[in-house]
Amino acid sequence: MIKLENISFDHCIKCTVCTIYCPVARATHLFPGPKQSGPDTERMRIKSPELVDASLKYCTNCKRCEIVCPSDVKIADIIQQARWNYLKKKFRIRDFFLSRTDLVGGMMTRLSAIANFFISLFPVKLMMTLVLKIPYQRVFPRYEQGTFRKRFRSIAAAQRAFDRRVVYFHGCFVNYNNHALGFTLVRVLNAFGIGVEIADEKCCGVPLIANGYIEQAKRNGAYNIAHLSRATRDRELTVVSTSSSCTFALKYEYSHLLELDNSDIFPRIEYITKYVFSLLEEAAAPPLKPVGLRAAYHAPCHLERMGGVPYTIEVLRRIPGLDLVILHSECCGIAGTYGFKSEYYAISQNIGSDLFAMIERAEPEVVITDCETCAMQIAMNTPYRVLHPLDVLAMSLGE
Amino acid sequence: MKYDVIIIGGGIAGLTCGIGCAEAGLSCAIISAGMSALHFSSGSIDFLGYRDDGEIVENPHAYLDEFIAHHPRHPYAKCGAETVRSSLSFIRDQLSRERLELFNNGEENHFHVTALGTLKPTFFSQRSVFNERIREAFTSHRKIAILNFRGFRDFYPAMTADNLRKNSLFKDIEIIAGTITLPAPRTPGRNPFEFRSIDIARIFDSEKYLPRIADEIRRAADGARLIGLPAFIGITRYNKIHERLEELTGALIYEIPTLPPSILGMRIDTALKTRFAALGGVFISGDRVNGGEIADGALDHIHTVNHRTMRHHARWYVLASGHFFSGGNVSEVTGIREPIWGLSVRGPVDRSAWRSPEFFSAHSHPFLEYGVITDESFRPMDPGGATVRNLFCVGAVLADYNPIREGTGGGVAVASGYAAARRIIDSITGAAS
Repeated sequence: MIKLENISFDHCIKCTVCTIYCPVARATHLFPGPKQSGPDTERMRIKSPELVDASLKYCTNCKRCEIVCPSDVKIADIIQQARWNYLKKKFRIRDFFLSRTDLVGGMMTRLSAIANFFISLFPVKLMMTLVLKIPYQRVFPRYEQGTFRKRFRSIAAAQRAFDRRVVYFHGCFVNYNNHALGFTLVRVLNAFGIGVEIADEKCCGVPLIANGYIEQAKRNGAYNIAHLSRATRDRELTVVSTSSSCTFALKYEYSHLLELDNSDIFPRIEYITKYVFSLLEEAAAPPLKPVGLRAAYHAPCHLERMGGVPYTIEVLRRIPGLDLVILHSECCGIAGTYGFKSEYYAISQNIGSDLFAMIERAEPEVVITDCETCAMQIAMNTPYRVLHPLDVLAMSLGE
Repeated sequence: MKYDVIIIGGGIAGLTCGIGCAEAGLSCAIISAGMSALHFSSGSIDFLGYRDDGEIVENPHAYLDEFIAHHPRHPYAKCGAETVRSSLSFIRDQLSRERLELFNNGEENHFHVTALGTLKPTFFSQRSVFNERIREAFTSHRKIAILNFRGFRDFYPAMTADNLRKNSLFKDIEIIAGTITLPAPRTPGRNPFEFRSIDIARIFDSEKYLPRIADEIRRAADGARLIGLPAFIGITRYNKIHERLEELTGALIYEIPTLPPSILGMRIDTALKTRFAALGGVFISGDRVNGGEIADGALDHIHTVNHRTMRHHARWYVLASGHFFSGGNVSEVTGIREPIWGLSVRGPVDRSAWRSPEFFSAHSHPFLEYGVITDESFRPMDPGGATVRNLFCVGAVLADYNPIREGTGGGVAVASGYAAARRIIDSITGAAS
């Protein structure tokens, strides 16, 4: 059935600009490109669903096609919707676990010492490659002992002492893999006189969407909207996130793709650098100290899509002593769980190769990026340490 | 966010203006809703191609003063002849810094060959499209081959050759059409008939196929030493690939602009954006300016679709949002409109007056001359009729010129973008001293 509100494919003028800038089409001829997979064939799929083409699954949902489209066609949304509306669903244990970041994270953090050791063993990796089709070359993120939420409890009372507060949507990565980033956020905001609260939350849904678990993504979305709404409504609190893709999901994927009503929380959700930028504009902002660091900055696709990149760059530019090389914006290739699958591994590495070469040419001491999976990809493929913009800001605030 | 200058629109006009401002040390942001019309352009830059009677202009530099005297409302008149001339050297120098070399035939126009096999006068072409050696070859060579890849459906060499043969300039020259076959291993599972220029350009960009392609070209050219290929000889390493291909084939090879996506236009787009970024400019892509407050005759701030809650402030604003195609002007049943602020536009309400009865009319179409009206300094009027003193309108959004009939499209974009940058720089540095 044609939904009248979703016929943006009709605005496509067939200019092929999206295919030019599609990182996947550039890396492999197996993907015919967003124009053909999206608006071109959507009009046929509506009439004859059997015309669906398995090459749709090569799309990484990076959204770069939507950024460059001169006609405002929601190309990546069309492709994602076609994937779950028309492609035959096949249960794969690997995709189930890769998309359940909170379920897996919950298990792994309980056994982190054993789990981290176990998944780094070659025989285990080989088994994962053979049985699960997870490429053995892929470096897995380390799991923390226990969750961020649990550790946060010890400072929750102190945070409530601040008059001005924000709600922090920490996301799965901070909760299970990188507690330090969560506590860095707390220290940075505290330096600006702002306390941090957390609300009940579930995985934002990005990996679920990517693996076609749309009903589960909708349930998580509804849960997050309800709880963030309850936590912020009465006090007009801002929700901040340190993950560019979580922010993108909460703000845009919920309404555009999952068809959830997030209008209540939409205006209050900010990616952290945009929020910090507004704090730096205030008269009472604390002084920043020189950091003496040369860094290359990589802009993640989803931050680019929501227009957040200029804020990260502006925040970084205000840090004295940061010699910043802004890399030409390219997809790193990992695209969340995409690069964790054997069938896409070569494509994923091929997409990222331009970026890795640019990083090499920039001769940085560290690489800065906003996204947790971009960070994994860069750390795996270059010799450099990868930092979040907040890490550098924390250095400058005198940590 | 606060900048010295915010430019709305990231096409050739906006980028020229942005590079000018950024080079003078001003903080500058360009907000661009999708990729610009450069992706649909020939990749050559017109300056002044035709007189009012339709005759081709040989020397646009010499003709410019007369043209301006006859067209006092034309954007060139508002720029002034000197600014128009310096803007052309400016754009050539800026592109040259990114190793994209433009060829100009001294002060005169030259012709580039279109995909239809017609000749179009233009001022600047990329060196792979026209250069002194190709100019020479057209007079000394007796045979030209126009080739295409088998399966590429956006170019028909037989038609190009047919139309060229009709041109008296080529009456003593043998023109043949030919087909070359793509190296096969690159395309498992893909039908070459689905290929667009970008797919083939990628095959060129990967240099490993060049020797094989060169063999094919030599075979299909059948002894011709001047060879026309659709413009897909590389996306980023085009200089090297063009040179190498000529070396391998021993022939002169020139590119013919194709249907969109235009690889020639993309090269200009990439070069200008790289230059703008190198100068510290901020390019915000995929966002659309949807409003902003005009108070006391000045634009105070703007806001965008992506950042509903955050305003962008600047001392100066530039509207370089393009013509109807790019959405800088929109046509409606009740007339034409500038969609962001409803600035004053020229264009009759009666729709039947917008077009000529014939599609390929010698007078072109009147709607091409509709757009935003400005004062002598490119400043527009708000819906109330008051001049907005810190907003400049440049490029295709402007009224009072006809890019097709006059052959002035690229030139007006470059000259007005450059003129706005000069005025902004003068006012900021003038105010400081």
